[in-house]
Amino acid sequence: MRPPSFSGQKVGELLESRYNPRRIRAVALRVVRQLKRDPRTIGLITFAPIFLMVLFGYALSGEMSGIHLGVVDHGGQDGLRSSLQGEKDFDLLYLGSQSDAQKLISDGRLQGAVVMDGGAVRLLLDASSPQVSDRIQAAVIQGLRPREATAGQVDVRYVYGYDLEMMDSVGPAVLGLVVFFFTFITTTISFLRERTQGTLEKFMVSPLSRTEMVSGYLLGFSLFTVIQSATTMLVVVFGFGVPMNGSPLTAFAIILLLGAGALVLGALFSNFASSEFQVVQFIPIVILPQVVLSGVWWPLQSIPSFIRPISYLLPLTYSSDALRMVMLKGATLSQVLVPDLLFLGGFFLVMFAAATAMLRREVG
Amino acid sequence: MAKDDDGGRAFDGRYAVVAEGLQKSFGQLRVLKDLSVSIPRGTTYCLLGPNGSGKTTLIRAIVGLIRLDGGRMQVLGQPVGQVGRLYPRIGYMTQHRALYPDLTLQENMEFFAGLYGVMGQRRADRISDLLEMVELTEHRDRLAGDLSGGMYQRLSLACTLIHEPELLLLDEPTVGIDPLLRQAFWEYFDGLAAGGVTIIITTHLMDEAERCQVVGFMRGGSMLAESSPEALKRLAGLFTTLRLWTGDLEGDRARLESRGYEVRVGAGPALEVVLQSHDQIKAVLDQVQPLDVRLVEPSLDQAFLKLAEVR
Repeated sequence: MRPPSFSGQKVGELLESRYNPRRIRAVALRVVRQLKRDPRTIGLITFAPIFLMVLFGYALSGEMSGIHLGVVDHGGQDGLRSSLQGEKDFDLLYLGSQSDAQKLISDGRLQGAVVMDGGAVRLLLDASSPQVSDRIQAAVIQGLRPREATAGQVDVRYVYGYDLEMMDSVGPAVLGLVVFFFTFITTTISFLRERTQGTLEKFMVSPLSRTEMVSGYLLGFSLFTVIQSATTMLVVVFGFGVPMNGSPLTAFAIILLLGAGALVLGALFSNFASSEFQVVQFIPIVILPQVVLSGVWWPLQSIPSFIRPISYLLPLTYSSDALRMVMLKGATLSQVLVPDLLFLGGFFLVMFAAATAMLRREVG
Repeated sequence: MAKDDDGGRAFDGRYAVVAEGLQKSFGQLRVLKDLSVSIPRGTTYCLLGPNGSGKTTLIRAIVGLIRLDGGRMQVLGQPVGQVGRLYPRIGYMTQHRALYPDLTLQENMEFFAGLYGVMGQRRADRISDLLEMVELTEHRDRLAGDLSGGMYQRLSLACTLIHEPELLLLDEPTVGIDPLLRQAFWEYFDGLAAGGVTIIITTHLMDEAERCQVVGFMRGGSMLAESSPEALKRLAGLFTTLRLWTGDLEGDRARLESRGYEVRVGAGPALEVVLQSHDQIKAVLDQVQPLDVRLVEPSLDQAFLKLAEVR
């Protein structure tokens, strides 16, 4: 017989019965042991992202074939204008003022701008990409050549933008994508196996609560998510020179939160699959929309506005934004809190609740 | 319905599981039909019945894995809705193997020990004892996935017993296990029952049912009969007979009948004397000088065929 206890103790007992760190640790340890013994999955988790990043990196790190050049035309340089229009490598963007041009260069959207103002020609160049700058400068001088006398009037100014290679912009977002993808797939299959091999049914008749089970998985998998994001990050930063202007720890925190969301989403989706083959079928449903709609490859603003509400529901939209902010612009944790971390945290909590609720219904 | 108690069931502490009027349907299919069951504490209880008779459904209802449509049930003195609190005291072995093939035997057992808070020296002792009991000690560092079917089954049983449950539900535990080891299992189960553990086993094997103290015969989602194997045979009208080959068939028959024995002439031809108990054997043999004698025990098989026929 248990002695009568105060209600505070009862709450403690209830908490203990629902959320016992020892049981969570048992699940986490088991998950780690299982993964350790599965070299192919370890390879998938650690090396496949590196491989993918290398692939993306080489595909994307080349100079962009189109040089984005702003033109501010206040008249007086018809010859130069038509000469620039004839350059195949240049994408011309006509702008209203020099300050617009300056802003776009520092945002990395333009590599340079030509301001034509009567007799004067001013050239604004991105200081961080000298090869492109040289190319632009050469083209402008070429355009002016028929009237050699004015060549000396070209006034060159350098603007410090950043060298926005495609990889710089895409790298941080792909980091999130890779972690999301592999975590989702591996956890969906792990949970599916718990069900097919009958261990889930055994858990249901054990003191292990659903919350503890999912928490144990989170703990066990987070170790691998850390390894995975660390290796991928190293490749992105040191292999491809994507800047890490913010704190790597902040980037880790974002990736871990995203990974946690992917894990509970996997736990939830495992209820809808009855075989590993069906898990593979989730890729076009869960992964591809995020690849296309979450602004990994191109800015959200370029996605048609009627589909954009979907983009705002996808976790990768927020992780991509947050990782870019931290890695490229050096944002701190508090600067990416709203809306990015808030959404990722909310997504995780909602999916966690849904996953544990579904696990219950599945058997009953 | 064969019941020991008169009318209503006693919903009290004597029973590990007691239930009345259980109903469960999956869609159109009625899997439990007004089923009643009483499983006294500290017994080995066998749920016997053909495939699809509702044995596994009943087991899953007892452990709270399925919600009943109707009826009343208590498990270890608690209403079945509260069974979640009892999980630390229940051991449940499913028909699935429910193990991790990519973990070693030791690791599998450590994991299940962790779920039940079995730690430290107690964990080490339990794992050693149980591995020895299921004769897998020398395989403890092998991956479970490399084991044969029978070994896997043994490991599954060991994992189910890790926390010394007081109510043990085993869904076809001896499938794929060789007769020698099965014998050892049953001795182990008897020992557990003697120590107060209640063991509920499902099987469709008669010889296994024969080993249990109480057998519940299920058919079509109902409990046809619930009693000891011997009582079930008597209920089916089956008795032990003594088969006698004698030189004087008719004379011996008349002599035995005059002493009040029920005697038939069976194949052989031989006399078949119905015994109420084995104590009568000597008395019968004092009356006749048989050339040959054979004691014929009715099988549980026959009992169930009869019972199923009658109902």
